[in-house]
Amino acid sequence: MNGILTVARKEAGLILRSRQLMASALLVTVVFSGTAAPAVLGSVAEGGASIDPVIFMVITVTGIFMSYLFSGQVFMREKTEGTIETLLCTPLSLREIWTGKVAGVTVPAYFLTLVGAGVISGVASAIRGEIILPSAPAALHVLVVVPAFIAVTVGLLGFVQLLLGMRENQIINMAIIFGVIFSFSLSTGLAGDGFIVTWGTEGVMLAVAAALLLAVGWATRFLNRERIVTTIP
Amino acid sequence: MEIITVENLKKGFKGREVLKGITFSVKKGEVFGFLGPNGAGKTTTMRCLLGLLRPDAGEVSVFGENMAESDRLRRRIGVLLEKDGLADRLTAYENLDYYARLYEVQNQEERIAGILGFTGLADRRDSLVGTFSTGMRRKLGIGRAILHDPEVLFLDEPSAGLDPEAQRMVRDLIADLSREEEMTVFVNSHNLDEVQRVCSTVAILHDGRIRAFDTVERLRSGGGAEVRFVLSDGASAERALAVLSAMQGVEEVSRDGEGVSARLAGSDVPPLVKAVVDAGCAIEEVRKDHRSLEEIYLSVVRQAEGSA
Repeated sequence: MNGILTVARKEAGLILRSRQLMASALLVTVVFSGTAAPAVLGSVAEGGASIDPVIFMVITVTGIFMSYLFSGQVFMREKTEGTIETLLCTPLSLREIWTGKVAGVTVPAYFLTLVGAGVISGVASAIRGEIILPSAPAALHVLVVVPAFIAVTVGLLGFVQLLLGMRENQIINMAIIFGVIFSFSLSTGLAGDGFIVTWGTEGVMLAVAAALLLAVGWATRFLNRERIVTTIP
Repeated sequence: MEIITVENLKKGFKGREVLKGITFSVKKGEVFGFLGPNGAGKTTTMRCLLGLLRPDAGEVSVFGENMAESDRLRRRIGVLLEKDGLADRLTAYENLDYYARLYEVQNQEERIAGILGFTGLADRRDSLVGTFSTGMRRKLGIGRAILHDPEVLFLDEPSAGLDPEAQRMVRDLIADLSREEEMTVFVNSHNLDEVQRVCSTVAILHDGRIRAFDTVERLRSGGGAEVRFVLSDGASAERALAVLSAMQGVEEVSRDGEGVSARLAGSDVPPLVKAVVDAGCAIEEVRKDHRSLEEIYLSVVRQAEGSA
């Protein structure tokens, strides 16, 4: 457990002190949340005074994008710099290394989704002239479901980045970028379409996240030191 | 007591056999030098020992166990690989602190301060490692490797990129660790002078096979020594050259000015001196040198290439 926390602390610290990366991530978060303004206007103007659909879609996708942005710094960078080989010689198991890194990326990525939720809430409140907060299910979404999905995404990306070589990772990265852009377009479309966030929706989302997390955790048994070392560029 | 054992180790990548069945062992407290040209398989061997690669055939063990199957075993070893494992964006202190926590080092602050002082980097404690020179990184890398007082230390090219003074520091450090801490040290190196000075046992790897494996002393004394005569004049040197060339047990004789060198194939020195004196040569000086590790290495590699 100490080892996992040590790795997590180091990775989160490195991300947070990387000014350029954090500035880019913050900019993306604010812009993405800001571009959701028309959807916020739509949902608020319909009398529901709800930012839930926007929160549900945009914050989830923002979290996934931040996971992608930070994972490269934590998994791929360590591999390209060759420092992973020394880490593999420490008493930590592969599962502990992976878990520590996932936790280290999840924390700053989650922090940014909270910023994004704040921006959406702030914009909606400014438009309506009153404070508009997410509903309880939407709050659960932001506080529990989104970090779970971030952890799933980071875990999966980390697994792939450790398992595969540079070329395969570049192809996967491109697929992820297109996937995220597509998701953003889809989410802003759906957000203004009468979508309602309920406890049931969140229960399903949480169950899916938990199942995915377990699946990714299980998949880490296919990671091995030789595979990682022989795919170091 | 054997700490590291390698038996008939074979390892290949994509159909190319890198290690073709190598066998050697390292005893407790030994400083073992693993020599070989680039691509010979030194790093592959070290990676197999560290559990980073799985052997295709054969056995590797450290403390009688395969490191690939034991996470706790890694607590007992220290490693400095070709890439030093230091994070550029962390300070020297933060790097050491990170590994101290991973290895659960006792009295961390004191130990880290000691390592920084020992490596001469105390005044750069709070500098980012990314700003360090190659030599400074290497020193810190060695400090990191011994931070948790390992019983066995694996070093891959420990003095690569170091200036002569730092190289000497590394040599002294290895010697101290072996002598005072009874640490077993496994050194992959191209630096033959370094290996000759610090290693007690050496294996020479070429083309995936061990070509020589013995103590440095036995390797240097085996296969004959070189005797160098310095004579008082050119005529004496000429006569000595003729006498020595005709003697049995002398493999090769060469002359430069008033000096004559004879490479022996196990022959004793006194008969040579007697023969030169009997030939009426005026001798100023006689010196017996064992072959240097460099000569042995080159001879082994050439022999291996010749037989290939």
